[in-house]
Amino acid sequence: MANYLAQFQTIKNYCDQIVIAVEDVSDLWPNIKDRFEEQLPFKRACLNNKTRNLVFVDNLPAEFILTTDARLRSRFPQEQSLFWFREPYATVVLVTCEDLEEFKTILKPRLRLIVQNDEREWFIVFVSRAHPSNDNATKMAKKVYAKLEAEFSSKKRERCCKFDIHGPEANFWEDLESKIMECVKNTLDRRVQFYEDEIRKLSEQRFMPVWNFCNFFVLKESLAFMFEMAHLHEDALREYDELELCYLETVNTGGKQREFGGLDSGDDQAALLNIGNKPLTQIVQDDSFREFEFRQYLFACQSKLLFKLNRPFEVVSRGYPFVISFSKALILHESTLPFCLREVWVISACLALINATSSHYNDGLVASDIEKEFYRLQGDLYSLCRVKFMRLAYLIGYGMDIERSPVNSASLSMLPWPKPAVWPSLPADASSQVLDKEKVILQATPRSKHFGIQRKSLPLEPSVLLREANRRRASLSAGNMFEMFDSRPSLIDGSTPDASPSTSPLQKAKTFSMPRTNSSPGNFDGSMDRPMRLAEIYVAAEHALKRTISNADLWKSLSSLEEFEQKYLELTKGAADNYHHSWWKRHGVVLDGEIAAVCFRHGNFDLAAKSYEKVCALYAGEGWQELLADVLPNLAECQKMLNDQAGYLSSCVRLLSLDKGLFSTKERQAFQAEVVRLAHSEMKDPVPLDVSSLITFSGNLGPPLELCDGDPGTLSVTVWSGFPDDITLDSLSLTLMATFNADEGAKALRSSTATVLKPGRNTITLALPPQKPGSYVLGVLTGQIGQLRFRSHSFSKGGPADSDDFMSYEKPTRPILKVFKPRPLVDLTAAVSSALLINETQWVGIIVRPIDYSLKGAVLHIDTGPGLKIEESHVIEMESCANVSQSAADISNVNGTQKDCTLAANKEPEQLSLDDGRIEFSDWASDVNSVLWIPVLAISDTLPKGSSSVNPQKQSIVDGMRTIALKLEFGASHNQIFEKTIAVHFTDPFHVSTRVADKCNDGTLLLQVILHSQVKASLTIYDAWLELQDGFVHTGKGNGRPTSSFFPLVISPTSKAGILFSICLGKMIGEDELEARKPETESILNIRYGISGERTIGAHPPVAVESVRPEVAGQDLIFKSALVLQRPVLDPCLAVGFLPLPSTGLRVGQLVTMKWRIERLKGFGDDEISEQSGEVLYEVSANSENWMIAGRKRGHVSLSTNQGSRIVISILCVPLVAGYVRPPRLGLPNVDESNISNNPPGPHLVCVMPPVLSSSFCIPA
Amino acid sequence: MIACVAVIGHQNNPLYIQSFTEADDALKLHHIVHCSLDVVEERVNNPKKSGPTLNETFLGLLYPTENYKVYGYLTNTKVKFILVTTDLDVRDADVRNFFRRFHAAYVDAVSNPFHVPGKKITSKTFAERVSNIVKSFGLSSAG
Repeated sequence: MANYLAQFQTIKNYCDQIVIAVEDVSDLWPNIKDRFEEQLPFKRACLNNKTRNLVFVDNLPAEFILTTDARLRSRFPQEQSLFWFREPYATVVLVTCEDLEEFKTILKPRLRLIVQNDEREWFIVFVSRAHPSNDNATKMAKKVYAKLEAEFSSKKRERCCKFDIHGPEANFWEDLESKIMECVKNTLDRRVQFYEDEIRKLSEQRFMPVWNFCNFFVLKESLAFMFEMAHLHEDALREYDELELCYLETVNTGGKQREFGGLDSGDDQAALLNIGNKPLTQIVQDDSFREFEFRQYLFACQSKLLFKLNRPFEVVSRGYPFVISFSKALILHESTLPFCLREVWVISACLALINATSSHYNDGLVASDIEKEFYRLQGDLYSLCRVKFMRLAYLIGYGMDIERSPVNSASLSMLPWPKPAVWPSLPADASSQVLDKEKVILQATPRSKHFGIQRKSLPLEPSVLLREANRRRASLSAGNMFEMFDSRPSLIDGSTPDASPSTSPLQKAKTFSMPRTNSSPGNFDGSMDRPMRLAEIYVAAEHALKRTISNADLWKSLSSLEEFEQKYLELTKGAADNYHHSWWKRHGVVLDGEIAAVCFRHGNFDLAAKSYEKVCALYAGEGWQELLADVLPNLAECQKMLNDQAGYLSSCVRLLSLDKGLFSTKERQAFQAEVVRLAHSEMKDPVPLDVSSLITFSGNLGPPLELCDGDPGTLSVTVWSGFPDDITLDSLSLTLMATFNADEGAKALRSSTATVLKPGRNTITLALPPQKPGSYVLGVLTGQIGQLRFRSHSFSKGGPADSDDFMSYEKPTRPILKVFKPRPLVDLTAAVSSALLINETQWVGIIVRPIDYSLKGAVLHIDTGPGLKIEESHVIEMESCANVSQSAADISNVNGTQKDCTLAANKEPEQLSLDDGRIEFSDWASDVNSVLWIPVLAISDTLPKGSSSVNPQKQSIVDGMRTIALKLEFGASHNQIFEKTIAVHFTDPFHVSTRVADKCNDGTLLLQVILHSQVKASLTIYDAWLELQDGFVHTGKGNGRPTSSFFPLVISPTSKAGILFSICLGKMIGEDELEARKPETESILNIRYGISGERTIGAHPPVAVESVRPEVAGQDLIFKSALVLQRPVLDPCLAVGFLPLPSTGLRVGQLVTMKWRIERLKGFGDDEISEQSGEVLYEVSANSENWMIAGRKRGHVSLSTNQGSRIVISILCVPLVAGYVRPPRLGLPNVDESNISNNPPGPHLVCVMPPVLSSSFCIPA
Repeated sequence: MIACVAVIGHQNNPLYIQSFTEADDALKLHHIVHCSLDVVEERVNNPKKSGPTLNETFLGLLYPTENYKVYGYLTNTKVKFILVTTDLDVRDADVRNFFRRFHAAYVDAVSNPFHVPGKKITSKTFAERVSNIVKSFGLSSAG
């Protein structure tokens, strides 16, 4: 059957649509042919696909062919069955007849004959030539047609239709089309069935030796072809897919050594989209086809159908794996194929796929994910093509022009070298080319990295080409000739490109193998047995490639470095652009970096920088530091070239902030040097720079600095420098952010002096001006290096910045500073609340109590109020004291005896001096409670007055009050001021009160002087004497001193003591005498006393005394007190008595008589009454609202001057209101109240009853 | 031969990359691993395509290239494991097995209280364990 292949091929070429046979019985076709063919292609066909499902096909092309046509005649039956697909799918029998007789006799038998062949699907078109105006003819035609229908149509199937040549019925064409389609469908079904049966039969024999793939192929493709003709592309595609599967299954399992193919010229250009590349007959081999061509053919058929189905995406998605798997197949046969055919084929295949699919592809017609996938595959194809292209370029010596980037290295260094059976050898006439190459190699300088970064460049070769090539040279015995190349480390590690073979071996040779100099440059000896040198390999490869490559364009791209670069750029850009349209952004960006490298080489720094920035952003964004470290120097170099100082600086900073292990110290120092150099260069404007990744800062560990409101302070901050060397910051400032209030602008702390940051941890101290209360966190660190304004936002947790912590999320910041709300920081109180001695120099204690606040360097201003002065001649003492309230527990444990003594001195008092009202505190007193003892003297000019028991006078406490205004300046810069005015109570030691203890008959008065001790100290009275005022004298001519044996008299604190003086009334001094000399109106009590007291408790011996003779418990002090003695007062001379009221009680409106009795108590005296010659003026007073008084309210009554005379005054009164009311009172206006005694006294209130009810008023009329 | 294994954090940041090649060409493996994230992302973002394997941690072959293979594995915490191998015929079961053991090692490593989540894994024990797993790769076929 294989010999049908050629025929099959030709059939396929001319037969491309469904054939409909026309059996022109009545020679009608020429007349109606045009009108029939106008209906083509069929608008809508409904066909069964292979799985017998209905498929609608639009615009199905077809052809009407007369059965008499040569194309349909003279076919052998065998051919017919094999190439059945080209046979007519329907037979249209055209008849006409105008006579029933004729129909019966001639036409009917003829038609019977025609339609008896079952194989054919037929139907009859009756053409009526009757003109519509000709009724007879029309009728006849109808009759004949009816007959025809009756004869040939069955109930199952209508096989007739009528065509009016002069105006067909409206639905004729539709009818015709549906009839044709019915036939086509049936035919198709039958043929599909036939082919399927045949194919099944054949595939059952698949593993038999007789099996012939070509036969199978012809059948299978016939079926596919038939589907294709019927526009059932999906089914056709499926057939091809099955065919491919079957081929792949059988082709390699046969065990037969088959030719692979690919040896013809032009085979290097992929024909995977070109069906007609080679006729199938050419690729037949035995019972099958050559793999090389056939697989491409199948793929071409598939892609043709896919394009027809408008599925270019599927072409790519099948194409890419196809290229890969085909490439693998090429590897298997590489030894037989021309040199590098595989690479060249892949390049052309990729380009062909890319071109075909992108020209068929319309944007937006497919779902977005399909679209993305499409672009991804295009990118893959581009990138595959790019890799192979680079490989070819490397082989012919453009290796040094290929960037040794990770992407190139990843794709090239894992790609094995081509493995030809024999490495191409050098053509005889190529020595000049070799020399040229050699020159290029020598001139090529290895591309050095910027900043002097030393890196081993990444390999582009899977192994050393020199060795690989020489190993594959048949003529070279596998001796150790090339071992000398192996031992060159520079080649193995790839640190220098292969460009240096001419120098390195020489050096190597010099070191240990002098005789082996045959490969030194210029030493051509033409010997085929010596290993090839690199330049020779390049030239040989170039020649071999030239033979392989038939595509002029591709060869042109490899002909020169410039052309290579152009093609390389084109491919790289194609890949990158397509990847950018797909999901694979990373691929795209990385390839952008490759484009950037080329741009950079050509001085197109702007483009290069843009692309490098994208790459760097990609790597930095996801923390791929190693990769970033590879690209970032390039970006920096671009920026340097573009004079983009800000960018360059930030790149340098980024370089510095990468993992320390990625660059050597020297390199990092170079980065820093660049930063510093630029910072101090003549930049016009200060350049801002973010160094957050490099300089980080944090507060010191431990609790935040706590400050009181208004205090300045110093803030110590840890700054981590990522610079490899010391770096000098011209200025530095740090903002503080209040946590409580975001609106409050950040406050900057500035340190204008230059700071040198060491690498690693630095502690920087900043002066902190007073801040508002609240807590603060560190904000931003800014500073200046030369013209460079840098800022850092990142906080470190007390360590260096986490280099892999690239996602800088907001860390919970710890307050660094707490400024407290204003609170009392210190308290000044008087140490002693009890009174001190007035008019004596006394210690005033002032307790200075710092409240969690240091009083270091505090200064106390003392300003005494009126009546108080500081004994400036005397030193001021200061001592510490334990405060019970603060540390009661401690003290009571340690020293139980002192627990009540709040002022127990812990320390010897320190002596301070008062300087202009200021006292400076010592350091020891800064944290502990201390007491300050100030010697003061309260001055009081007035003599203390004693009080008598008759009219006791309470001494006003205000008299002894003195104030001391204190102002304490403290805090770091005396910014805190505490002002307080302390009241100090001064008093005399005693309060003196007197009373007459007894009055003797002889007129001697015993005057008892009671001394109340007013101080908390025991007083000792040594002496007391009384200087009496006029009118009093001491009895017995004494000097007024009590018996001396009383003394010394000790008076405990706040107790009393009494001294009795015996005095008597003396002569009153006359008026004239009074004028002559000042009469003594007051007696003076003098007390000489001593005091023994503690200043910590209260009054104590005066300061001066204590300082002179501290061992003497008390020195005598004099206390003077004025006493006013009054001469004794006489008894009252009149007594007024209120006589009892009647027992019936008082009623409103009832008269009552009020009676008073006045009695003279003394017979004679110098009282007022005597002067009025026995007349006594009386007056009754009463509230007129309560009482109505009848009688004289005021008048004189005579009262005898004799003692005991009495008189009764009675007044009639009427109470007016009920209740308790004041009764009327009797007063004696002329007599002093003191001379009147009320005996018996009148009541304060009397009860007045309401009036008795008068019933008469109540009787009704 | 396994060329490289990597642990990639959920923000696509490398947590651990170890190459097992002799040449000093780790950078190209970094590149391969980094680029393979494109594929992982694509699979994760297109659940339609991954279909029934959505809930599976093993992502399978990511890269059908000519010369090496990249396999992926995605943990529940979106941490990715990437395996680059130059073996061209690798059995899926072996890779699955590898990833399972690798995952266990990873879980142990990050369970270390001294490990900061999201930071690079610096544990030597982990590195040792990984290299053991890598060495034994493909030896035991019991998937």
